[in-house]
Amino acid sequence: MKRKRSFSLFLSALLSAALLITACTGQQANTGDPQNAKNDSEQIVLKMGYYSDPPTQKKMEELLAKFMEKHPNIKITTETGPHAQFFQKLNTQIAGGNAPDLWLSDGVKVFEFAERGAVKDLRELIEKDLSKEEYYGMDANKGPGGEVWGVPQGIQIGVLYYNKALFDKAGLKYPDANWTWDQVKEAAELMTIDASGKNAKDPSFDPNKVSEYGFTIFSSPVGVSRGWFPLMKTFGGGVLDSSLQKAVLDTPENKQAIEWMVDGMKRGIFPDPVDLQSFQDPFKPFLSGVSGMQIDIYAARVKMREAGLNFDVAPIPAGPGGKRFAPSIVNSWVISKTADEKKTQAAWEWIKYWATDDEAQREWASLGEAIPVKKKVAEEVLTSDTSLNAKVFLDSMEFAGSLDANAVFGEWRKAFDESMFPAFSGEESVEQGLKKANEAVQKVLDGFYKK
Amino acid sequence: MNQNTQLTGEWKTDERPVPKPRKRKRLDSEGRWGILLISPYLIHLIVFVAFTSIASLYISFTDYDMLNPPEWTGLANYSKMIDDPLFWKALKNTLYFTILLVPIKTALALVLAVALNQKLKGLKLYRIAHFIPVISSWTVIAYVADSIFNPRFGWANSLLVSLGLEPKNWLADEQLVIPVLVAVAIWKGVGYMMVLFLAGLQNVPGDLYEAAEIDGAGPLQKFWRITVPLISGTTFLVLILSTISSFQSFEQIYVMTAGAVDGVAGGPNNASLVLMLHLYREGFTFFHMGYASAIAWVLFLILFVFTFMQMRLQKRWVHYD
Repeated sequence: MKRKRSFSLFLSALLSAALLITACTGQQANTGDPQNAKNDSEQIVLKMGYYSDPPTQKKMEELLAKFMEKHPNIKITTETGPHAQFFQKLNTQIAGGNAPDLWLSDGVKVFEFAERGAVKDLRELIEKDLSKEEYYGMDANKGPGGEVWGVPQGIQIGVLYYNKALFDKAGLKYPDANWTWDQVKEAAELMTIDASGKNAKDPSFDPNKVSEYGFTIFSSPVGVSRGWFPLMKTFGGGVLDSSLQKAVLDTPENKQAIEWMVDGMKRGIFPDPVDLQSFQDPFKPFLSGVSGMQIDIYAARVKMREAGLNFDVAPIPAGPGGKRFAPSIVNSWVISKTADEKKTQAAWEWIKYWATDDEAQREWASLGEAIPVKKKVAEEVLTSDTSLNAKVFLDSMEFAGSLDANAVFGEWRKAFDESMFPAFSGEESVEQGLKKANEAVQKVLDGFYKK
Repeated sequence: MNQNTQLTGEWKTDERPVPKPRKRKRLDSEGRWGILLISPYLIHLIVFVAFTSIASLYISFTDYDMLNPPEWTGLANYSKMIDDPLFWKALKNTLYFTILLVPIKTALALVLAVALNQKLKGLKLYRIAHFIPVISSWTVIAYVADSIFNPRFGWANSLLVSLGLEPKNWLADEQLVIPVLVAVAIWKGVGYMMVLFLAGLQNVPGDLYEAAEIDGAGPLQKFWRITVPLISGTTFLVLILSTISSFQSFEQIYVMTAGAVDGVAGGPNNASLVLMLHLYREGFTFFHMGYASAIAWVLFLILFVFTFMQMRLQKRWVHYD
């Protein structure tokens, strides 16, 4: 009897402890719940997600505090983390019906969310409150049916970075807006130095023992913004057609572009994938001052400055037919499909604040991470930056284009990478590689769009 | 069949005698307490293991992008697997990795354990030295490994060059990437297995060796005739644990094959793509959670068959006292 009683006592103690624990966690998870908003009759509590590193997190929290001061009826709670972890968690949150009400999407991911039905069409709100001409990247998130899935948060654009010290050492003129790819290669030959100090024009130059490279152009997946993709575009080629559902890789233009790249890698004047791997970080050759040039995006300036490089920028060179292209990534605010009317309105207030408030735009621009989306502020910020030819970024906007990002961007990029690897490492012809890549990319596209 | 034998009651002959009712009642009460006391673990098992396993089995028969509700597609994911060259490549790589890793690691762990079971000066220091990689994170191990295998700055190539040989690309070489990964996995994992063997060795009675010595047995004979049979239980455990963990290798390969850049690991040219990495990529990068779940279940079946075979074979060589 006694034993039985103590047993039930223990059981009830355990159960109440369990209840207590669930109650506690429940309360914690409820901070962003409308239930709480009811107590404070007007207040709407929003959950916002964004990816960050310590400086961007600090700045974002500052801006949020300012916004909430102006909008006392809106309380924004945040969820943040480094880029990869943030999006991994976000996917599972969306899957579990627990998505943030609004979040910052990497520009190339907007369509991944949109075409899977996770975010709202913001067309009407944009038409009502924002005048399109005042902002960069307003067309970047446009769907085929005229839907607009996001509002630009910050712009990245690709340009040609060059190391002034290496150009000076080789006695070369700096690149300018009129440069062609042939000039890039010519300069790269003269800047590439082997272990015995000979440059790539010297007949006894050893391409297996390079100590300084002329030009880093990426064949890996990062090459979609910093290598093969912009190169193919300037040569008149590309990956997908305008419907973004058909692969157009198997063309003479693409072949010419990739052969131009492979030739540079074979001759040792561009680091090949194996060379890059030996640096651990593929960006290290340029950052450590042993590469003369590299295509990179606006944000790259921050690390280059930290590394103490003496560098400047020029537009990405024109292709053989004079075609220009600058890869651009428009990171954007999106609103969750699950957000109700009130929350959508509140989320829109934040987006509007972000886009229209000059001070907020300037504050964010002070980090140097992205070009402000408001043209007026962008011009002001970039023209005041005298440390480099910052106008290049604005001028490149004229021929900026997307990375053919669609619902299966990550997947087609991987398919391209896998199919092209043998061609980039010289084991297979470029023609064969592109043919295989075309099939592989099309298979990925069909897997999603022809379902 | 089973029912029949049960009905005949024949099988009961070598069973323990049925406990008396009184005793049984006491056991029940203790049993209840037992269940209660392990209930935190049981709840964990039911919620986080059983439920999720069944859910993933269901998901493996659906098309599920994590953002929309799963759609039933029957065996589509499994038939996709048959046509997926990357699945076969990943399976081949996983088997290659396991077949290379498990025997070498086990043998080396045993040799080390025997060596460190002697009365040596600074014994603890040696044991600690072998255990440090076990408790280090893969990121740290990857850095150390890079100092050896970096094609440009690593001392493996310095050594080759000083011997007049051609330098290698190691992790960037399709032929060498798995052997290099195995070498590093052995270095990191051998210490743990060594500790298991050491524990097994402590249980071998010293008088057996003395008796053998009196009969004139040499060290090799003592090792093969006394040590190996008497620690076969531990060897079996080590083999099972090593096989399972090498089938599940993920972190090492993710960290050591450029996983940090763009989330693309398994290179060069998928030469180090293993099943877990393929599963991760499909599920968490490409939104194919149904397919990823199907891969998980196939991996489970393979592991199950392997373990079952090892269990069966143990009767031939494992001795328990």
